[in-house]
Amino acid sequence: MSSESSKKRKPKVIRSDGAPAEGKRNRSDTEQEGKYYSEEAEVDLRDPGRDYELYKYTCQELQRLMAEIQDLKSRGGKDVAVEIEDRRIQSCVHFMTLKKLNRLAHIRLKKGRDQTHEAKQKVDAYHLQLQNLLYEVMHLQKEITKCLEFKSKHEEIDLVSLEEFYKEAPPDISKAEVTMGDPHQQTLARLDWELEQRKRLAEKYRECLSNKEKILKEIEVKKEYLSSLQPRLNSIMQASLPVQEYLFMPFDQAHKQYETARHLPPPLYVLFVQATAYGQACAHMKSSQPPRQDKTLSVAIEGSVDEAKALFKPPEDSQDDESDSDAEEEQTTKRRRPTLGVQLDDKRKEMLKRHPLSVMLDLKCKDDSVLHLTFYYLMNLNIMTVKAKVTTATELITPISAGDLLSPDSVLSCLYPGDHGKKTPNPANQYQFDKVGILTLRDYVLDLGHPYLWVQKLGGLHFPKEQPQHTVIADHSLSASHMETTMKLLKTRVQSRLALHKQFASLEHGIVPVTSDCQYLFPAKVVSRLVKWVTIAHEDYMELHFTKDIVEAGLAGDTNLYYMALVERGTAKLQAAVVLNPGYSSIPPIFQLCLNWKGEKTNSNDDNIRAMESEVNVCYKELCGPRPSHQLLTNQLQRLCVLLDVYLETESHDDSVEGPKEFPQEKMCLRLFRGPSRMKPFKYNHPQGFFSHR
Amino acid sequence: MERAVPHAVPLGQMEVFQTLQRLHMTIFSQSVSPCGKFLAAGNNYGQIAVFSLSAALSSEAKEESKKPVVTFQAHDGPVYSMVSTDRHLLSAGDGEVKAWLWAEILKKGCKELWRRQPPYRTSLEVPEINALLLVPKENSLILAGGDCQLHAMDLETGAFTRALRGHTDYIHCLALRERSPEVLSGGEDGAVRLWDLRTAKEVQTIEVYKHEECSRPHNGRWIGCLATDSDWMVCGGGPALTLWHLRSSTPTTIFPMRAPQKHVTFYQDLILSAGQGRCVNQWQLSGELKAQVPGSSPGLLSLSLNQQPAAPECKVLTAAGNSCRVDVFTNLGYRAFSLSF
Repeated sequence: MSSESSKKRKPKVIRSDGAPAEGKRNRSDTEQEGKYYSEEAEVDLRDPGRDYELYKYTCQELQRLMAEIQDLKSRGGKDVAVEIEDRRIQSCVHFMTLKKLNRLAHIRLKKGRDQTHEAKQKVDAYHLQLQNLLYEVMHLQKEITKCLEFKSKHEEIDLVSLEEFYKEAPPDISKAEVTMGDPHQQTLARLDWELEQRKRLAEKYRECLSNKEKILKEIEVKKEYLSSLQPRLNSIMQASLPVQEYLFMPFDQAHKQYETARHLPPPLYVLFVQATAYGQACAHMKSSQPPRQDKTLSVAIEGSVDEAKALFKPPEDSQDDESDSDAEEEQTTKRRRPTLGVQLDDKRKEMLKRHPLSVMLDLKCKDDSVLHLTFYYLMNLNIMTVKAKVTTATELITPISAGDLLSPDSVLSCLYPGDHGKKTPNPANQYQFDKVGILTLRDYVLDLGHPYLWVQKLGGLHFPKEQPQHTVIADHSLSASHMETTMKLLKTRVQSRLALHKQFASLEHGIVPVTSDCQYLFPAKVVSRLVKWVTIAHEDYMELHFTKDIVEAGLAGDTNLYYMALVERGTAKLQAAVVLNPGYSSIPPIFQLCLNWKGEKTNSNDDNIRAMESEVNVCYKELCGPRPSHQLLTNQLQRLCVLLDVYLETESHDDSVEGPKEFPQEKMCLRLFRGPSRMKPFKYNHPQGFFSHR
Repeated sequence: MERAVPHAVPLGQMEVFQTLQRLHMTIFSQSVSPCGKFLAAGNNYGQIAVFSLSAALSSEAKEESKKPVVTFQAHDGPVYSMVSTDRHLLSAGDGEVKAWLWAEILKKGCKELWRRQPPYRTSLEVPEINALLLVPKENSLILAGGDCQLHAMDLETGAFTRALRGHTDYIHCLALRERSPEVLSGGEDGAVRLWDLRTAKEVQTIEVYKHEECSRPHNGRWIGCLATDSDWMVCGGGPALTLWHLRSSTPTTIFPMRAPQKHVTFYQDLILSAGQGRCVNQWQLSGELKAQVPGSSPGLLSLSLNQQPAAPECKVLTAAGNSCRVDVFTNLGYRAFSLSF
């Protein structure tokens, strides 16, 4: 108990010793200074740590006092009340202390808060300032890059090089001593120099312009003069026409032709130029006579120039035309709608369209017969075609068998070996045909003309064989290289055809027209006679039983002409099937024989018939006669008659048959038979007139 | 027909001429080389073509191996007859006989070794030589043809030793009797004459056309082919093909063939003949037709049996005539292929 109380007192003493004394002094201080008591000021003087200790001590004291009171109360007694009262007073003091401490704590808190707030405001202010500064820095940096990136206009100007500048610019502009070191000044100086120069050039330009205007005016004046000259010249030309005609110098006509020729498509133009050139060259070589008069080759252009010009007009025009025609068509075909077939027909027509201009070539032969060739150009197929016509000086009586000889369809067939003119020479055409359903050009050649290979060559068109088409351009050199040979071939072809024509006329009447200069090839007396000369069809020829060899050898093409000749002597009848190659007379007619006399004899069962065939087919060169050997066919037929005579006359007489021989031997022969195959003496020896073996 | 009809191709002047020449070619004569591997054929243009039988018969034969190894112009006129000695090829036609070395021919250096012309009497036309015959025992060559005589030529010296006269028309064919030195000749006059070479005299004459059994007046009298085997002789031509017994001069068998025959030969116990018509005919001695083997030519002029022991693999029968082809029969009943000029 006593210890407890002592303990209780002790802190009290301490407190009364220490803190109140201090507080009193502080109080007196503040009272002395401000004459009022300020708890706030007291706060500053007291140590918060000590207050805390005091607080702890007070709380303990209170707890102790409470515990004692409770203890006293629970014990009960009379003196307890005093004790409790005492204790209560003590506790009140302690509560007072606690209250004081509480206040102090509040004040301290408030103070602390104020301080924190103040500090925070300061920090905020600093932060704001920092932000401002950063922004300013950024702005400045941007400005700097902007400045750095600035492009001056002068950089685009193409300045003269530095060396040139120092060499050419006057020193008052270049100021070498200043500008050498300072690139800025240097650039400025160069710009100055540039300006100077440009000013000078502008001046010059103005001068030139005025000069040009002056010249233009001059030209106009001269043009006016020239245009006034044209009508005068024309009238002079007009006036000179009769003189030209009189002197056979149709320069004007030629000039007009050249004018027209400009509208020709390239291949026809090439042909025109080359043919004209060749014609002139030939005429010049001839003689001193005025050229043009005995010209063998004349060239002309036919067709409408306007249409040709229209081809090159801009497409709008044609569009109009088309719409017009469409309208018309609508009117006309209102009842009948165009079927698919009609459309395809139109397409075909379009594809096979010819250029409106064509080139006419007239080739005159020695006997005044003329070969008229008309060359066309098929624009969409890029090939050329030709139509031929032969006119003769004198009217010809046309033999029946000669029907095909001069027909435009066949007269030029196979001018070069294999050139039938039935197929298109341009490989690209086949694809075009496929589109519009044309099987082959063959069906159209009668109408369009024949696309012979030589025609393409004359036009300078060269097509690769069986290869996709390259660009085909009209080539002058190609045309020139073929012109002469082709013209010569054409001439021989016409002449040989005309010669054949004449021969056929006699052959049909059973006369073998041997000319006097070929008479030496045959004996004077020939008994066998030609009785028939007819033309036969290719198919009929193929079906003859004695022509198998020729068919198998590939010599019976469908471009050849086929004839049947019948030679008779007495009861013997000799049939001869003749293949006439279009290339007559360089390629000989080929004969196949069948003799009807004492049974049927052909080359397969009679060696001598075979020998007769080889006499006319293989040994034909002896029968050619004078060049250009157009009489070959006649001579071959006459030879055949002679051979038949020999064959019949030398046939061994059958002793068992009564009566005289049918064919007494009239020919003079050295021997009747020779060699293992018992050949008859077919060879005729001219001046002596006897027959011998080959 | 083995050859299909070719498509008519466009031909130039030269090609047409060459085609016609081939079409009208006749192969008159054949001869097998001493080695048995090559066959020479002569045609009516005077050319001799040499074919390699071994190449054409080999298993890897191509179209080219049926073409001539070498072709050369031997004569101006047709080559009617050819024979081969053990080194030479002798060819004759237009009055001359020419010798060629087989070794050189095969090396393609074709230069004639020598040429001889028999002494002819006529000067207007040079007579042809239709037949050549080697007489091995005498080492001589007998020529016969257009001048109706047989000329014997010594192969050693090249001199013409004898002339056998008797035929009245030109001579077609010759045959040698192996045992006795006797030669048979058949001619246009219709007679087969038997000559003794030692005495140079005519021993026997058979005028075939006078025998009614074989006479065919509408065909003429001429004897075109002749072959002999000991006492037997077979001949044909205008008269029918007939087998004769020589000693008795009687016809024993008449072969029923209408067309004139141009070549006949004995082969083992058969008789082979060919002539007008496509076929090679095989006859039994009794007159029975054993077989007819068709060839590719419309008419045949010569048969050649290659029996050279040096080349047994090339043992074939070849036939040629009125075409540019030589038919090769690998056995008697079958035509294997044709060699072509």
